[in-house]
Amino acid sequence: MKLGIVTDSTCDLPQYLVEQHKLEVVPTILILEGKEYADGKGISREEFYTRLPDFKTAPTTAAPSIGEFSGRYEKLFSQGCDHIISIHAAGTLTSVINIARQAAKEFSNRVTIIDSLSLSMGLGFQVLAAAESAEDGLEATLTAIGEAKKRLKVFAALDTLEYLRRSGRVPSAVAILGGMLSIKPMIELIDGEVKAVGAVRTTKQADERMFNFMRPLGKLERLAILHTNAEPRARGFLNQLMQEISQSLPRDILLVNVTAVIGTHLGPNGLGFAAIRS
Amino acid sequence: MSMDTARLEKLRHRPFDGQAVKCLVEAGLTWLRTNQQTVNSLNVFPVPDGDTGTNMMLTMTSAWNEIKDSGEKHAGKMVAMVAKGALMGARGNSGVILSQLWRGFARGIQDSATIDAASLVHGFLDARETAYKGVVRPVEGTILTVSKDTAVAAEAALTETQDPIEILAKCVSAADASVARTPELLPVLKQAGVVDSGGKGLFFILEGMLRHIYGESLDAPISSVQPLSSMNFENAMQEVEEGQDYEVVVDFFPGNQFELQKFYSRLEEMGTSIQVGEGEGMYRMHIHVPLDKRYEPIDYIMGIGTITKVAMENLTAQMDEIDSKTKNAKIELATTEPGQIAVVAVSPGNGLSRIFASLGVAAIVGGGQTMNPSTKDILDAFENLPTDKVIILPNNKNIILAANQAKDVTVKSVQVVPSKTIPQGLAAMLSLDPNGDLDSIAEKMTRAINAVKTGEITTATRSVEIDGVKVKEGQVIALLDGKLIASSSSVEEGVMAFLEKVKAEEYELITLFYGEDLSHSEANIVADVVRNKYPSHEIEVQEGGQPHYQFIISVE
Repeated sequence: MKLGIVTDSTCDLPQYLVEQHKLEVVPTILILEGKEYADGKGISREEFYTRLPDFKTAPTTAAPSIGEFSGRYEKLFSQGCDHIISIHAAGTLTSVINIARQAAKEFSNRVTIIDSLSLSMGLGFQVLAAAESAEDGLEATLTAIGEAKKRLKVFAALDTLEYLRRSGRVPSAVAILGGMLSIKPMIELIDGEVKAVGAVRTTKQADERMFNFMRPLGKLERLAILHTNAEPRARGFLNQLMQEISQSLPRDILLVNVTAVIGTHLGPNGLGFAAIRS
Repeated sequence: MSMDTARLEKLRHRPFDGQAVKCLVEAGLTWLRTNQQTVNSLNVFPVPDGDTGTNMMLTMTSAWNEIKDSGEKHAGKMVAMVAKGALMGARGNSGVILSQLWRGFARGIQDSATIDAASLVHGFLDARETAYKGVVRPVEGTILTVSKDTAVAAEAALTETQDPIEILAKCVSAADASVARTPELLPVLKQAGVVDSGGKGLFFILEGMLRHIYGESLDAPISSVQPLSSMNFENAMQEVEEGQDYEVVVDFFPGNQFELQKFYSRLEEMGTSIQVGEGEGMYRMHIHVPLDKRYEPIDYIMGIGTITKVAMENLTAQMDEIDSKTKNAKIELATTEPGQIAVVAVSPGNGLSRIFASLGVAAIVGGGQTMNPSTKDILDAFENLPTDKVIILPNNKNIILAANQAKDVTVKSVQVVPSKTIPQGLAAMLSLDPNGDLDSIAEKMTRAINAVKTGEITTATRSVEIDGVKVKEGQVIALLDGKLIASSSSVEEGVMAFLEKVKAEEYELITLFYGEDLSHSEANIVADVVRNKYPSHEIEVQEGGQPHYQFIISVE
């Protein structure tokens, strides 16, 4: 049995991994000042984040069309796949998975839709786990995804609350902090929910806090350092990890500039990580 | 001290019962109130901070309110009530220690229906014991030392006499001498050229009791007038009594016939909240009088000296204004569910209260530098919250003890996060998780305190030299984490001196909380100077609304 794997562009997997595992990645849509962009096309992430604070109207996002998904499913089946696993951004946060579900209806039971309950590399790592076990069959692959999901941790330190507030996706615990002082919220993405795990007022405090979230996780199987156009900060954080907990780190660590589709709700200069515990 | 021998003889033969105790407590309170400003002026740091005299007086007032209507005859039971009242009303560090002295004293005589020499001494010994135990690191040269020396004197006196009055007299002399020695034990007092204020307050309470026994007046301070700089009419504002609608302040040069004693007693007939200050020969008189008597003090002073300035204000109108100000700025506090952690924060200004509320504080206790809230104020703030998990942020070093006391007397689970400044309190708030475990959240919040450096910019209330910094009264001074670091001629200079001293260049964020004496644009002018000097820093300007402190600064 041959398994095909479909995901969406919020998974943030680098191109070489997409190619290596022959993944089908459906781009989500970014709407900038009235113009639609397929995620990753037409505007680079660097350019997007640099311009983000100055856009006259806040950029918005949209799910791809049903046709986008059915097209990918058809393509994989025509290439000889017997079954497809279509794994996507948390349904609590985006409507992407609903569109995928609609599309899957056309293919009787040959497409299994999975809600990653996560975003960015939190989704990406589940896709990788699926791709790596695809040859062992559907059951084994679903188990691998479930295992990854169980051991997944995603944290982020935003530079400001402004973008999250603007997006209307402020978790209630952080909404309290919608007050007067400028603060940098710390959030955890857990089971598809954005949960406030604290707040700090400086970047240094945020990085320390981030480190303190990671340390108790023990040995990591996979790790991605996420940032919203803050590569020097992300590298600095990575250096600290290598110096202080190198024995807990996996061999390959990804450094990911998060997709604009997510980043528009987070704002620039954010730092985060997605990790799968051993 | 003159004494009325016949009266003394009579007293000697009357049992020292509960009602006698009541009279003594009232006498101690009255004498302390009379000398309140003297105690207040014994301020080590030239900053407008919690006035010890006022704090102790309010603590004693609370004790008095507990017993004033009681007909209790049993001395031990009466003192237990005094101790309870003092505990609830305890304000400031000295007030809290005073309440612990009462608690110990009550324990020492709990079984005595009447107080004799032995039980009195017992009381003093237990008072000392309890007060020392109540403080984590007892400091000598403070009210604690005075309580110790008093207890030692009481014990020694018991070998010579069985007369409790004689013992009390010996205790008063010992307290007096002990207060005088405090600068030898506590270098900071010597540096500032003052004796310990809490110790002095305790002395006045004991002396007031003795003066009552001797039949001496308790209404006019015997000593002298306070320096002009230590006059504080704002505290007087908080005690506006009904019917005393006008505040009259008269500056004058007294004539040759001027007699302070007589001056006071004449003023006593006219009104309340009397304060008299003196500086370079000029006197300033402050009094609250009823409407129909508002010209009386002026007429009177005209007859005994040369008036240079008169100011009269309608207090009721002022109070209304204060009330409406508080009403206008409605603060939206966080709501707490049962089982969640609620935070109570002490805040000296409306702006700061609003910021605390925006960070999730569930209850605000007004107060801070100049007005320390009592144990009861803090208790009242959280007793009605729908949760039994509470964290208190005192935000002032002089309120931590009262907060701890509130923790001790409530049935709720309370943790005190010992924040000594506003920025520390705000930093702690960022680590609050209302759904977390009380102890571990309190621990996290306590650790977060260290994330910030605090600057305070204020005007010196007196001239002094401390830690090598020379300060002239009226100059702007800067404090770093409570330590005096610079004196300067302007607020702006003070802010910059602080930033330099704290090595602001090593930090990222400077938040300026401006006080009620500055406008937003005035604050922004200073902020612009800071921005120019530290262009890569984030600079934030917030309305703090705190009195006396032009700026509270957080650097992190």
